[in-house]
Amino acid sequence: MLNQSFNGGIVIPNPHPVEVVEIISAPLPDKVVLPLQQRIGDEASPCVKVGDKVLTGQVIAKTQDHFCVPIHASISGKVVSIDDQTIPHKSGLKSKCITIESDGKDQWAEYKGCGSNFLHCDQATMIEYIQSSGIVGLGGAGFPAHAKLEGIQDCHTLIINGTECEPGIMCDDALMQHHPREVIRGVEILLHICGAQRAIIAVEDDKQEALNSLLMYCHNDRISIEQIPTKYTSGAEKLLVKALLDIEIPSGGFAIDTGVICQNVATTKAIFDAVVDNKPLVSRIVTVTGSGVESPNNYEVRLGSSFEHIVSMSNPNTNQHAVRMGGMMMGVDVETTDTPICKITNCIFVNNPEERASTQECIRCGQCNQACPVDLLPQQLYWYAKSENTDKAMDYNLADCIECRCCDYVCPSHIPLAEYFSFAKALHRKTTEDQYRTDIARERFEFREYRLERNKRERAEMMAAKKEELKKKMANDKAQKDKIAAAMARVDKTKKASDDA
Amino acid sequence: MHSNALNTNQIMRQVIYALALGIGAAYTFFGWGVILQIVLAVVTAIAVESAFLSFRKLPVNPAISDGSAALSAVLLAISIPSIAPWWIIVVGTAFAIIFGKQLYGGLGNNPFNPAMLGYAFLLISYPLQMTTWANEFLNLSQAMNAIFNLTSVDALSGATQLDEVKTQLALGKVISELEVHSISQAWINAGFLLGGLYLIARKIITWHIPAAFIAGVVFVSSMLYLIDNQIYLPMQNHLMLGATMLGAFFIATDPVSASTTPKGRLIYGFLIGVLVVVIRVFGGYPDGVAFAVLLMNITVPLIDYYTQPKVFGK
Repeated sequence: MLNQSFNGGIVIPNPHPVEVVEIISAPLPDKVVLPLQQRIGDEASPCVKVGDKVLTGQVIAKTQDHFCVPIHASISGKVVSIDDQTIPHKSGLKSKCITIESDGKDQWAEYKGCGSNFLHCDQATMIEYIQSSGIVGLGGAGFPAHAKLEGIQDCHTLIINGTECEPGIMCDDALMQHHPREVIRGVEILLHICGAQRAIIAVEDDKQEALNSLLMYCHNDRISIEQIPTKYTSGAEKLLVKALLDIEIPSGGFAIDTGVICQNVATTKAIFDAVVDNKPLVSRIVTVTGSGVESPNNYEVRLGSSFEHIVSMSNPNTNQHAVRMGGMMMGVDVETTDTPICKITNCIFVNNPEERASTQECIRCGQCNQACPVDLLPQQLYWYAKSENTDKAMDYNLADCIECRCCDYVCPSHIPLAEYFSFAKALHRKTTEDQYRTDIARERFEFREYRLERNKRERAEMMAAKKEELKKKMANDKAQKDKIAAAMARVDKTKKASDDA
Repeated sequence: MHSNALNTNQIMRQVIYALALGIGAAYTFFGWGVILQIVLAVVTAIAVESAFLSFRKLPVNPAISDGSAALSAVLLAISIPSIAPWWIIVVGTAFAIIFGKQLYGGLGNNPFNPAMLGYAFLLISYPLQMTTWANEFLNLSQAMNAIFNLTSVDALSGATQLDEVKTQLALGKVISELEVHSISQAWINAGFLLGGLYLIARKIITWHIPAAFIAGVVFVSSMLYLIDNQIYLPMQNHLMLGATMLGAFFIATDPVSASTTPKGRLIYGFLIGVLVVVIRVFGGYPDGVAFAVLLMNITVPLIDYYTQPKVFGK
């Protein structure tokens, strides 16, 4: 086992463990709601209209932006509306969505990929398939997978992230246990695309089953499977790279800057489907867990199904619940379970309502800086974030905070530190933007003043020059006149003389 | 969503419990005065803090129940002589809570250690009462008499060992002519040392400040001893006399006013240790913990700024 891990981080056991990690196929939903705004990039524009019949896997919206992926219908049926619907967002935000009512047949649009002999395909085609199948990072970040794989110059190691990003989530564990073949083949495809020498699949040491099933299917000596200690924030890309390779990705840099590419296991499996069959991504595995459900489990569910669709299958108790998308640490609270599942929905926490512990003053005990995986001083950042002194907070490397909430978790005064930090970051962004705008406005004004001044001066100079010229001209004229007069006089004189003669 | 570790109230309480060994030792040697001073201090602290919070129109209960005022009060009470008159501890505690803590905005905002601010104020204002210690175990009525000024206690009191050494040296004696040992002080220091180790084991404080503090004391005292062992006390005396262990484990480690970075804590603790010996040996007062801590409190923002850990990826 590797032991070159990053500092800090915290060990939190799975709060709602299950004996057997399963994947249950959720039934087809009656309707799906598919948001047009993806996690990153422009809002897609629909290419179907209300009343159209669509097939499963048919493209229903796309953008011009090559960075984005198209949106596919996740069931067959009829488009019933294109309007604003509640999306999974902290503030209960509404955004434009396409709603499809199922016809219950699940008829698929045709698709055809490289086939099982994928190694004969060239990289560009594979990347093309990955994009057209709508693959984004399924670990939670939602970063378009093709964008990460394009134009790779120098990649020595491919890392497949099989660590569950947060305690309680089991979807990647389930995927590795039940789809090891697809994962391993997906890794081979990725090796082919990025040209790395080796791939490492990182699995946490509490996932022995997943490790065993991967080992059973892994017969490629370029692929190794490494166990790492189960510790929260190991799933964060930079920290995983540190734990596996002892490479520290520079602040503000990306993994590829150090010759490393990271992909999540679920994304890897989706890439396998995309390349071999060019099969669009229309479903994902979602964990439903929390104190409000009797039987936490994983569901393979169509994108756009409501949270309620699978929560109801996990035997929720009758309490009023606090629902959260994503993990217990970094997830976002959502107001209702009538919210669509999207590509980044890896987990739904359904909790019994809990009273929030009252916050006390910071006593600078320093537990937060011991827990911080990126070695910040949260107690100092808090001091400056609270007083909105963002310059000073930036001085204390606010920008490097990954908002993992380890500091919140250990804080004996129960201060929501990460909330302060994300607020301070936003404030800093705003002040720098405002400052930028003010600077531009000032520059414009100053330039205008300068321009007016310059025009005035230039005009004055021009006038002076003209006057001078005129004067000269007049002086010249006088000389000319004198000359003419002299010549005339001479002519008169000679005339007179000849007359006289 | 929080860890099951101690919360702030529990931390304060644990620190107070950890003081029990040292307080027990002090009680064994000085008697009931020790306990009476603590009671007076805690009552005063809670009364003053409540009054001040109501002035500031803040909720009283959460602040009182966090235990921080009580902790400051206990620390001050065990720092002063057990037979000091009652108004000493009352005035000192009130000063500590008002000027050391509430005027800065309450818990978490005070740059100085409140207990030591109170101590320094008392030592400067009432040097006589602050340097007259009990010589023997006083029972409850004797202690009451002493503290509430009912009868004279001259027969029962005297100066501390550190004070005595200072006086004798000033009279021209040398160390080898003096008998420097104090069983009571050694036991009390041992009590605080054990209590401090408990706090480290419970992860309530880190080892950095106490270890660096002791290293600072050892470093300067042994240097001085090597220079002249007839004028300067050996290091073991410095470690086991006065408020060394109380200072190292309970006072310098007050997280609010101490440095908060790992490296900063080492620097902070070490320099306090150095200053303690320097003030004891060259200063006008017998012990230097309070002044050393207060002086280093001032430097904390500077230390913290320059000892930031290397951030991941930088």
